[in-house]
Amino acid sequence: MNAGIRPSRVEAIWLGLLPFAAILALWTALPHVTSYPAYKLPPVSAVLQTAKESVLDGSLLTNIGASLARLAIGFVIGMALAVPLGLAIALNRHVADMFRPVLSFLQAIAGIAWVPLTIIWFGIGNGSVIFVIANTIFFATLYNTVLGVETIPLALHRAVRSHGGRGLALITQLVLPGAFMQILLGMRTSVAYGWRALVASEMIAGSNGLGYMTMDAVQWQRVDVIVLGMIVIGLLWMAMDRMLFVPLERRTIMRWGFLQR
Amino acid sequence: MNAAVASAPVRPQSPRLSPRVARFLKGALGVGLLLAAWQISVPLVGMSPYFYPAPSDVVVAFGDLIRKGVLPVYIADSMGRYALGVGTGVALGIVAGIAVGLNRKLSLALSPLFKFLFALVEVAWIPIFVVWFGYGIKTIVLALVYVVFFPVLYNTLLAMRTAPQVLANAVRSLGGSGFDVLRYVILPAALPGMITGLRVAAGFAFRGLVFAEIIAAKTGIGYLIFEGTQTQQTSRTIVGMIVMGLLWLAIDQFYLRPFERATVQRWGLTVDAAQRT
Repeated sequence: MNAGIRPSRVEAIWLGLLPFAAILALWTALPHVTSYPAYKLPPVSAVLQTAKESVLDGSLLTNIGASLARLAIGFVIGMALAVPLGLAIALNRHVADMFRPVLSFLQAIAGIAWVPLTIIWFGIGNGSVIFVIANTIFFATLYNTVLGVETIPLALHRAVRSHGGRGLALITQLVLPGAFMQILLGMRTSVAYGWRALVASEMIAGSNGLGYMTMDAVQWQRVDVIVLGMIVIGLLWMAMDRMLFVPLERRTIMRWGFLQR
Repeated sequence: MNAAVASAPVRPQSPRLSPRVARFLKGALGVGLLLAAWQISVPLVGMSPYFYPAPSDVVVAFGDLIRKGVLPVYIADSMGRYALGVGTGVALGIVAGIAVGLNRKLSLALSPLFKFLFALVEVAWIPIFVVWFGYGIKTIVLALVYVVFFPVLYNTLLAMRTAPQVLANAVRSLGGSGFDVLRYVILPAALPGMITGLRVAAGFAFRGLVFAEIIAAKTGIGYLIFEGTQTQQTSRTIVGMIVMGLLWLAIDQFYLRPFERATVQRWGLTVDAAQRT
């Protein structure tokens, strides 16, 4: 395994760790150099202590699990509704022309702006948060699906038609694979919006989860919890991006030569 | 030939509308249908306006907000914050991107940190900004600067790496200075990255603005959206959402797209499709 790593890569990793080490050192040294109230920035030890406690009593894992479960449920609902509807809209040129302005408008307001309404409709908790995520994913995916079908080159369309493809064959052979690329390309961005919407709506309308944990700590003046929440939110997104979307993009899009770099 | 070209606009089926107008009319029909469906669904749902206001309620609320002069002030406040935050973020991101990108070691060293800070969404910073700076414009603008800074910086850095060494060598061998290399090779190479970063950032920042205003403001569109439901005036919330959507479409149409056209497309540089919203 290690033999495969080129020296430049090792160098990159070492260099990349330096700034983190510097920030950690500065953060550790800061309370000794200047005096500022501890409720503004917790010492490193306090964050570590809180991390340890919340891992041991299971509350951190519960919150992470709750957030990820909501993201997954919202994602599945949003995608499951948006792709068929998007295909249905896009198959007819007139219908697509009709819905495009409405869709780009709804996409513009998708997400966090719905939270006040969802609080009225579903109350504080799971319902509101899942609605907001599903809503974000739904409109982004719907827009991408319509766009995906529309950007299929006319030549391909004619080629399928001239070979006698129509009806279902047209959909399975041309429309689905053609739109698939745009849907996949859009997915990373739409999940990025969904993730923000998740954290944000948990802060306003959640009863648990990472966003709730971080915002709730403000009123108890627990900066250690806030900082811990931030670190976990950052790491989780990096992990998701790396483990889900980067390989997905590599396996599908780059392999089929869709993405020119 | 000439005759054919001249007669092209006047087609045999002359009563047909130009495609642009036709598309606009169809789009307007779509909007009209949506509004009609909404209005018709109100008696079917049968809920109080607090739960499910009708379009007519929203129109009344809109007129009310305009007459009292609330809406123009809120829009101005929101757009002022947005312009300030995005402008500062873009300027800082480009300058920092170029400064870091010129040095390969520095760029290698800082990239993972930037990546982490990019992943640490601005939304997650709001609680600690509130602790540090309280509720108000400082927290909002800082969150916007943050959310713009990293995509612009990161994409600028990535794009600078694509600057062809051959061209830099060519400029050098023709007697160009280091500044010439920057001016004629590196900056043009970095430009698509900056624009990509700006496009991604502008979208995130707009949602970020609304969220920050929900949490930390007493004016603005986000506040209007939040306050409407708090005071049982749900139609005001909807006015806020509609204004928000229209503002974004206007920003996209009148600022982002022309800007992109004037820079990237004109010079034949393409923006990586994966990064686009």
